[in-house]
Amino acid sequence: MSGSDQTITIGNVLRADIRGFVIASRIPAPEVPTFGAFVRAPIQQETAELIGLVYDIRLQDDPFLRNLAANVVPDAPEYAEIIRDQRENRAVPVEISVVAIGYRYREAESYLYGYPPQPPMVLHQITVCSPEEVRRITASVDFLRTLLDNRDLPADELIPTVLQQTAPDDGADRQAYLLSAGRYLAQHLGRDPVRLEKILRRIDGG
Amino acid sequence: MLRLERIREDIAALGRQAAATRQARQDALAIAQRWLAEVPGAEELRGHVQPLLGSTDPWSGAVPVTDRPLNVPIACPPESLTGAVLIGVDGSQIFPDRHALALYYLLQVGALIFRYDGSAPTPRTFEWLRYEESDLFDERGYLIGAETLGMERMVKEMEVLADLVAASSPDAQGPVIGLFDGPLLWPYADRVPDAGSALRTYMGAMRRVQRGGGHPVGYVDRPGGRPLLDLLWASRLRPDEFGERIGESPLHHLTDEDLMVSFLPPGACTPWFTRPTPTNDRHAQEGQEIWFCYVHMGSGEHPTIARIEIPAWATIDGRAPAVAHAALLHQAAALNGYPYVLARAHEEALVTTQDKAALEQAIQREILASGHLALPSEKAQQKALLGRR
Repeated sequence: MSGSDQTITIGNVLRADIRGFVIASRIPAPEVPTFGAFVRAPIQQETAELIGLVYDIRLQDDPFLRNLAANVVPDAPEYAEIIRDQRENRAVPVEISVVAIGYRYREAESYLYGYPPQPPMVLHQITVCSPEEVRRITASVDFLRTLLDNRDLPADELIPTVLQQTAPDDGADRQAYLLSAGRYLAQHLGRDPVRLEKILRRIDGG
Repeated sequence: MLRLERIREDIAALGRQAAATRQARQDALAIAQRWLAEVPGAEELRGHVQPLLGSTDPWSGAVPVTDRPLNVPIACPPESLTGAVLIGVDGSQIFPDRHALALYYLLQVGALIFRYDGSAPTPRTFEWLRYEESDLFDERGYLIGAETLGMERMVKEMEVLADLVAASSPDAQGPVIGLFDGPLLWPYADRVPDAGSALRTYMGAMRRVQRGGGHPVGYVDRPGGRPLLDLLWASRLRPDEFGERIGESPLHHLTDEDLMVSFLPPGACTPWFTRPTPTNDRHAQEGQEIWFCYVHMGSGEHPTIARIEIPAWATIDGRAPAVAHAALLHQAAALNGYPYVLARAHEEALVTTQDKAALEQAIQREILASGHLALPSEKAQQKALLGRR
């Protein structure tokens, strides 16, 4: 793990099982992860790490902000410093939901796709994966497997978002990657052509 | 389980007493308002209470230190805040618990450096984890209590303020105000044995704030106490009555806050006062005598009175007092009467239950790594189970 990895300190684990976890935390607004961000968390006494995708981010009730909002108009010049403090410094209470897509043992190079053998037992922080890690994780489109059958996710939005983010920038490579993903989806969603078409259109449309 | 039916009569009596107290307070408030309207001038008052200052019976009423009339609120002067720096400081703690998995205590001080120049404020936090026996136990071998911990926390807050003032002052384009959540006047002289060393450290830190070009300001929200009411009562007595009647004020149902809510319009403040207490004498010996005033921090709909404490030297230091007044009102307007910078400092300092759980998990892992198993006591575990109800 590089020294510049973005970590999110867990405030409270609301739920954790092999399909994923939901955590509560307080994070400065600029550091709140985005929909479709790849994260990792240690499992099995830190001998392995679970790889997951952020599929939901919820802002929790923030009485401080409610109190402030009653008196401070956005972009009011007399409160410029306060507004900047809220936007750049202040940790916002968020709930982050993560779905597991695979795992990797620390000594191993390759990723195993599907549910991990155990959920995170002790969860103190999660780490946002670096672009290089994401490239390695998504080198095989098999990472989509756990998303397709999970009805608790907004998978039809999550899959196109992730594929758009992880596809190479280069035109030819990008095309090949998305084509490979499209074939994988067609293979697994053959019995649901309406859903398949919806997802493919979103991938194509960007 | 609380059996309400067994204390139902006491609850009814409490309600009746509250109604009676309310009426008594209203009657006392009418008296206090009249006395304030009739109060003599400041110079005459200072002369009038002189016998009380030299008395063997301690009297800690307010003494006006300027010649402004007491019964004329002072409006906030128009003052530009551009370039001013406001540093809010607050602290929190985890108390030592002999039922926890390890014996320790934690102090955390949070701060927000707020510059009136359009830039984003800078949050800071500072932490101290104490686990040595010399920190945890007093000379008699007892685990230190909340007062001792509070005292150390207050010293740390002032030390942090001194450090941040020193770091901020060189680049500041205006006054540097250090805002302290609570009184500046040392409250531990009679509450903690052997507090002398801590007081010396505290005074040293306050002098560092002064040398660093800062102005420490203590902010007391919803102040208790009645030094101003005690002064008003003294003003109604003849000096030969002081010995017998000084303790018989009919205003004991009230606090100064009650009077100020009806007297001060929003944004206004009283003149400065001092209190002739042994602790303030000690402060004065160090060049840090504390003066105070009351400020209406809220609005007509939400009256909020705060007591502002400041070293005497800071009240005559250029623009700083007026800038502090204006900055406090600006900060409080954002948060319904409480300064934003203090609310944020408190937030930065706060140690949540999740923080504490994470800390104790980390401690447990370290102890386990050394080959030992640390667990909370059975009592603590049982309480934790009950606490989930």
